[in-house]
Amino acid sequence: MIKKILFYIILLTALFTCNCNEIDDEDEIDYFPEDELFETEIIDTGPIDRIISSFSTSVEMAAVIENLNVPFSKNYIVPANVANNYETNFKKALGLGFYSSDLGYLNIYKKTNSILEYLKVIKRLSDDLDIDQFFDFQTLKRLATNREDLDSLMFLSVSSYNRMSKNLRETSRSDLSALMVTGVWLEGLYLACKVNNFKPTQDLKERIGSQKVILRDLMDVIKFFKKKPDFAKLIRDFEQIEEAYEEVTITIEKGKKEEIMIDGIPTTVQGDFTVVTVSDEQLKEISELIIKIRNKLISY
Amino acid sequence: MKKTTIIIFLASLLIFAQNSDVKAQCKQQMVYRCATEGKNAIYLRDFNTKLKKTKPDKESGTKWTVVLNAGTVYRFILCTPQGFEDKVVLTLYDSQNPEKTNPLNSTIKAKGSIFNFVCRKSGMYYVSIRFKKDKGDSKTCAVGILSYVGKNQ
Repeated sequence: MIKKILFYIILLTALFTCNCNEIDDEDEIDYFPEDELFETEIIDTGPIDRIISSFSTSVEMAAVIENLNVPFSKNYIVPANVANNYETNFKKALGLGFYSSDLGYLNIYKKTNSILEYLKVIKRLSDDLDIDQFFDFQTLKRLATNREDLDSLMFLSVSSYNRMSKNLRETSRSDLSALMVTGVWLEGLYLACKVNNFKPTQDLKERIGSQKVILRDLMDVIKFFKKKPDFAKLIRDFEQIEEAYEEVTITIEKGKKEEIMIDGIPTTVQGDFTVVTVSDEQLKEISELIIKIRNKLISY
Repeated sequence: MKKTTIIIFLASLLIFAQNSDVKAQCKQQMVYRCATEGKNAIYLRDFNTKLKKTKPDKESGTKWTVVLNAGTVYRFILCTPQGFEDKVVLTLYDSQNPEKTNPLNSTIKAKGSIFNFVCRKSGMYYVSIRFKKDKGDSKTCAVGILSYVGKNQ
């Protein structure tokens, strides 16, 4: 009987005290009394997880596009009904990335009518991946329906995406988190390519070209999961993108850092800067490939 | 048998109660409040961490990697619970500009809880949130916000 008791105690201890995958600065353990300022959360920061989390910006490319005063187009986003065909977790997670990026685009352009439709799609995909607890559909729906407090709608949309992606990493499903991030990145780049075809600017040209640096890190992430189902096909697609980027050159020039004020806020202007050299032909090739691969991935 | 069940129940309760509080971060309401301090900036992500009490010669804190894009103005904001405003620092750095010796910027350098960063080089950067030197006399949580201000003109 004593042996049995000891076994249970050891088992419970192992279950509740395992701090597996804790590294770096996040491994300090302390006793925290209950306080209304705090909530409990498990942190998991494997090296690959840290790279995945660094990409989490589902709205940035849309904000860049809006800054260029380019009109909104629904043709640039994935139709909501396409998600009905997503059957595997691979497709659902990748789709969640595409739709989260599109939700960012809709939010930036304040398209509240369409937002509701996309919220429903994201809700369904997050339900299927068991991360719906981080997607506050009711509040988002209320904010979108009432068209009030659009800043809150934006905040909640982006933070929901971040929290869903984080939860996947914390529950040993980093491959799905990586797919969400991949979907966001590809959809953002697709948007940039489509807009650049419609209204070419030097800004967008450089932004598309500079994605070569980000792609390198993203390749490390997806190659890490090469043994997982369907990743081999995804890697092959991304290797094509890598190839298209091969001739794009990115050099770092030295410069002097500046301290200025913007809107009364202390601002550092980085000294060193990137020089992106991408020809129109290279840009065309990259754009065509991005559009082709994105269209293939949303539909298969 | 009854005794066994009670022992197991108490043991698990004790272990779970202790562990559940180990990884405490700031609540989502605080993250939202902090994000709205960005004014005309668009929230991109947050850096939410606990800061444990430290001895004067020790450090406590967390660091994250973040991808920033050239040609973009980003805003960083640090929020802490009341009473910790002057005790915590948020630092932005990269491999060429180390956290301790020559960071790109920090709330100490900016002399406040907010600063902008005009990124001119796409790539991986680091954000850390730590207690300032000798200020870690009691535990707390802290939130950093990264938001998008606009493109660099």
